[in-house]
Amino acid sequence: MLSKLYNHTGKAQVIGITGPPGIGKSTLIGNVSSKMADMGHRVAILAIDASSPFTGGSLLGNRIRMQESLSGKNIYMRSLANRGARGGLSESSIGSTAILDAAGFDTIFVETVGAGQADLDVMDLADTTVLVLGPGLGDQVQAIKAGIMEIADLFVINKMDRADSYFAMKDIEDTLAMDDARPFKREVVGTTIKDPTTYQSLIALMAKHGNFMRESGRIGEKRFKMGLRWMLEDELRARVIDPLMKRIPPNSEKKNYYDLMATVGQLFSENLNKVLEKEIV
Amino acid sequence: MVDGKNRSLFKDKPIKILLAKPGIDGHDRGVFVLAKAFRDAGMEVLYAGLLPTPEEVVDTAVNEDVDVVALSLLNGAHMTVFKKVADLMKQRGIDDIALVGGGTIPDEDKPSLEAMGISGNYGPGTPLSVIIEHVTRRAEEARLKKLR
Repeated sequence: MLSKLYNHTGKAQVIGITGPPGIGKSTLIGNVSSKMADMGHRVAILAIDASSPFTGGSLLGNRIRMQESLSGKNIYMRSLANRGARGGLSESSIGSTAILDAAGFDTIFVETVGAGQADLDVMDLADTTVLVLGPGLGDQVQAIKAGIMEIADLFVINKMDRADSYFAMKDIEDTLAMDDARPFKREVVGTTIKDPTTYQSLIALMAKHGNFMRESGRIGEKRFKMGLRWMLEDELRARVIDPLMKRIPPNSEKKNYYDLMATVGQLFSENLNKVLEKEIV
Repeated sequence: MVDGKNRSLFKDKPIKILLAKPGIDGHDRGVFVLAKAFRDAGMEVLYAGLLPTPEEVVDTAVNEDVDVVALSLLNGAHMTVFKKVADLMKQRGIDDIALVGGGTIPDEDKPSLEAMGISGNYGPGTPLSVIIEHVTRRAEEARLKKLR
């Protein structure tokens, strides 16, 4: 079903919203979406929360932050549990994004699980990656670190009403001043719920980046690649890796492992060569 | 994402439950206790927040495609507000989402709530395990209807 849907995708701008837990991602998305809906956009929100590694349960708390923005407008919102996926997304996020894109939403927000420095999967899903930060999270050294700081297309300092927020903004501005060789000039914007007009500058910046991606013909590009990669990995795991792992007898000797590795390895690579020799597209 | 397989329909998918206190009731300590208990029982838990209208509760349940909506009220308005939620679900033809209730509900109201399809109706002091067992049973019924 998904492969048929892909023909109808590629119109929506997918905006990844990432950042540490409790920084205000959900509240921000709620407020921004509500403004965009007023402007006539059709907005969809996918918000991902963490599943318990022990019980598999999850408290999907994103919705409660944006509940007020959701009633009676052009906004659809769905909460997803990450179900053990790492990297800030859930396995179903790529398929869900495709469905919402095909359904004709103009903007799709994907909110990651509260993310750390190495939760970078969102960059492959989103056309525009927005990193939400706030006051008191670190100094200039944090701001020039590798990882999540590099994948952001836009930066938001949320909670601008708090003390220290201008220092946080300055640290990011200094870092961005050192950006070179990036085709899109990255910017930082401050937002606070105390002054709703601050959301307008964020909306304008997101639109600017969306236009940049559209003009360079890159909307959806990373997403298709990611979808294909995830599909192949899934197929490989389901058809090859899992069944083979099950064939190892319990309490088996080391020799069995090595035999299996040798025979399977050879078979696998021979057949894989046949697959790879086939021309695609 | 293997073509032709929709993981979300797998039977072993976690139960998705929406907790809601529709109407005017700000006492949400109990609902947080339940939220954590359901989470620890392996469910995916949504809470509708304070003061949602019955319409918002049903909208949320549909948009999130939950298996169970758990309604709670401590203000005595359950015969009005729970009924409103059940009626809205019926109007919209939703039969694959189970409704359960709880709170300070007098025994004499329970049969009429049951007749509306709102089961459980547990009060203070009920062991969490009893509630979890009941919710799980109702969720499995709802899930079977989704799989039709």
